[in-house]
Amino acid sequence: MTDYTLIGKRMPRMDSRAKVMGKALYTADLKLPGMLVGKILRSPHAHAKIVGIDTSKALALPGVKAVVTGADTEGVKWGVFAYTRDQQFIQTEKVRYIGDEVAGVAAVDEETALAALDFIHVEYEVLPAVFDPMTAMTTDAEPIHAEFPNNINIHVNIDTGSVDENFKKAYYIREDTFTAPEESYFHGEPYAVAARFDYDDCLEIWMPNGGPHMKSKPLSNAFKIPLHKVKVKKITIGGAFGGRSEICPADYICALLAKKTGRPVKIVFTREENTIGTRQGHAMITTHKTGVDKEGRVLARETTCYMDGGAYSSTGPIATSVPFLSMEQAYRMESVRYNGYRIYTNKPIRGMIRVHGRGFACGLDTQLDMIAQHLGIDPVEMRLRNSRQPGEFTSTGSQVWSCAMDETIKKAAAAANWQDKFGKLPPFHGIGIGTNSVQTGFPMGIRGGSQSFVKFNEDGEATVMSGVVDNGQGNENMLVQIAAEELGLLPEDIHLVSADTETTSSDPGSYSQVSTFVGGQAVKNAAANCRQKLFDVAAKILKADPGKLTAKNRMIYVTDDPKKAVSIKKTVRVALLNFTSVNAEGGYWPRVDMKREWVSNPYGQMCEAFSFGTTIIEVKVDPDTGQVTVLNAVACQDVGKALNPLVLEGQFEGSVAMGGQGGMLTEYHDWQEGRCLNPTMLEYKVPLACDMPEITGIIVESVDPRGPYGAKEAGMSIAMSAAQAYAGAVSNAIGVYMDSFPLTPDKIVAAIREKRQAGK
Amino acid sequence: MQTIDITLTVNDHQQIIPVKPNDTLLEVVRDYLDLTGSKEGCGEGVCGSCTVILDGHPVRACLTLALEANGSAVTTVEGLADGDTLTLLQQSFIDHGAVQCGFCTPGMLMSAKALLDEDSSPDRQKIRQALSGNICRCTGYAKIVDAVEHAARPEPGCPDCHTKETGGDHD
Ligand code: FES
Ligand code: FES
Repeated sequence: MTDYTLIGKRMPRMDSRAKVMGKALYTADLKLPGMLVGKILRSPHAHAKIVGIDTSKALALPGVKAVVTGADTEGVKWGVFAYTRDQQFIQTEKVRYIGDEVAGVAAVDEETALAALDFIHVEYEVLPAVFDPMTAMTTDAEPIHAEFPNNINIHVNIDTGSVDENFKKAYYIREDTFTAPEESYFHGEPYAVAARFDYDDCLEIWMPNGGPHMKSKPLSNAFKIPLHKVKVKKITIGGAFGGRSEICPADYICALLAKKTGRPVKIVFTREENTIGTRQGHAMITTHKTGVDKEGRVLARETTCYMDGGAYSSTGPIATSVPFLSMEQAYRMESVRYNGYRIYTNKPIRGMIRVHGRGFACGLDTQLDMIAQHLGIDPVEMRLRNSRQPGEFTSTGSQVWSCAMDETIKKAAAAANWQDKFGKLPPFHGIGIGTNSVQTGFPMGIRGGSQSFVKFNEDGEATVMSGVVDNGQGNENMLVQIAAEELGLLPEDIHLVSADTETTSSDPGSYSQVSTFVGGQAVKNAAANCRQKLFDVAAKILKADPGKLTAKNRMIYVTDDPKKAVSIKKTVRVALLNFTSVNAEGGYWPRVDMKREWVSNPYGQMCEAFSFGTTIIEVKVDPDTGQVTVLNAVACQDVGKALNPLVLEGQFEGSVAMGGQGGMLTEYHDWQEGRCLNPTMLEYKVPLACDMPEITGIIVESVDPRGPYGAKEAGMSIAMSAAQAYAGAVSNAIGVYMDSFPLTPDKIVAAIREKRQAGK
Repeated sequence: MQTIDITLTVNDHQQIIPVKPNDTLLEVVRDYLDLTGSKEGCGEGVCGSCTVILDGHPVRACLTLALEANGSAVTTVEGLADGDTLTLLQQSFIDHGAVQCGFCTPGMLMSAKALLDEDSSPDRQKIRQALSGNICRCTGYAKIVDAVEHAARPEPGCPDCHTKETGGDHD
């Protein structure tokens, strides 16, 4: 095994110091000279025509500096794909959900800005609204978007053939339907954006983002200005979890207010706005029909899913596909047919979320448990019989180069004492297993690759430039670790310039779990190129072969004769005196099938690597109250290679909390006529320190042949599989297979009562 | 709105600050004093990211009126370190990987400090309880609990305890 200096080591994150000192600045902390407070007027109606807007009274209010409405915009519509451009940043004709953006105000202080909102008079003509996908598809009412009859936004159809024939061959077939409502991110940091136009009419803008280059392009489109005039700036980000990847209407509104006033403007969302005005998870109704042979091997599967897509497309085609893809990666199935429908409703915007498709995945695993029980097979064995194996192709044609799914199942089962527990626990105790697989990088077209630039400074330290963004998961430290490893420097010698569109090259962002695989690999390649240039100089100094040098600990030495050495600092200085460049670039472009398209051609190599994870959860349920106590949690993931186990464990633990504890026990949105009844932290229950079990994290390394040092996605397979394991454990404890998630106490008590009555 | 002068000792500096009657302590530290380490995560007393220590007790600065704090001593996250020297608790947060996005961190540190000031060797259960008014969405709390537990008592078997001192001064 290669002997790395930093890779694979428990390295505390270099960005933590500023954070524990309270020095790290988040967007809401920014204060720019002359800065105004921005606020957004949102629709009170779920579906209505905008008949007219009168802003004169608001403008007359002392302290109000600007009001913007749809009339001030270029009318550009946003969508992630050319065929999903359906969202204006300020609505001009109609509003489609309670919270849709109607106007923006900039004023000298918050009180004035809020008062001004009340003085904007909007005349609406209320339209009939729909709040669930099944009604939305059949209603005679005016469609939410004229271009989409029946309100069907996206239909993904995947069919590998032979499905009907294989169902005929099956020994046992089950068909079950599972549901789950929307959930939200509840990032630590509520959304905020600050913007100003500089002396050169360039837009400078700060906001939490999942990729600065993903923000700059839509802004340049919306303002019809060249891309270089949009400078998305680096700022500390308080969490993303999939929810901050694409443009937010507030980004545009803030920038528009800054343009109109000629002053910096900052908009800080309330917690409620963060829930309603950013994005949410999709509610889903999923039917899985599965046919197996006598041994429980899946011969055929047909899955139909209806997703409540809310008012706009957002990442629609991706969102409609990913729950299916995760399952086709995790489990082998001889044949499969998938129909995913994303339906517009008059509810807030939905996008990707950490456990995207919890009802989908938990349903599939619950059904596997049902089948296993029918056939008398242990759930662990059931998974081993259907688990993905290395070298195979998924149903839609992605080759899986590295895969240690079986190892994760076996290690997790051993650590959780599965053998001694399953079927042997006291009443209302249960144990459950979940397995899942997550993509490392989607085909992202022109922005799929990352490029990095490394330059040496005359003191022997290096500056590394990369478009990769850190949402809190530790991407900056990952880049520093890689650069220091490759350059033979110490982490403190690396100065990172990142997540800024002016100075960094194109990068896919933290989207699709790709930061390490693509962005990290780009830095690795750039640093290796830079080291080679240094070696060419050092070889002359040392009178040695440049191919036989090693860089470590700020020194370059002859690999076979370490006493022959020169410092990196001296080498750099010699190079500069000789007018020799010691700067280099490097990039990485994932080798995916660029012809694969979410809707029109969902076949081909999806991404280069897939992570695999297993979680096992043991619970105790109070049959009278329905309260669930988690007794044990084991999370085990094939991460390819653990670059930094300390950071990785933190990802596992956070994933169990959000995916399992919150996602399966307490987190969901409640609605009344399209109005979210629990948008704040008081009503929406996220896990607290006292709720969480102790978690055993187990790292499995399959060393991916294409990942940097063998690494691939880290942590997401745990978030997904944790949800499945929680569902399995509760069902096992109460002896009822649950089909409606999350498993809140009311549902648990009702299920126990129903079972008792049926038993009488 | 009319302002009223209050006297506040913030991180050991006594100052007179003109405040509006409806200003919260959080607004005073963030907007008047530029101490933006204390965060507003919810503004309604739930998330704990605004926690500061007021006369020895952790309080939610978003729910505390500045006027109520008149004559008091306030410690914010900026007041923990001594210049560049971090407290054992801060260092422990770094060493144990207790900081991810960092938004909850200032509040967590203040709640944890208040706990350790009162009980220098709390068990994990007590730590979990003391931190249950602070929401963290990233970490699942595991490493935060480790960091607080080991700040006071470095554990020989812990791969992340770098602190040589045992016990010691956590402020
Ligand atoms: S901001 Fe004070 S408790 Fe959330
Ligand atoms: S570290 Fe992100 S909220 Fe705690």
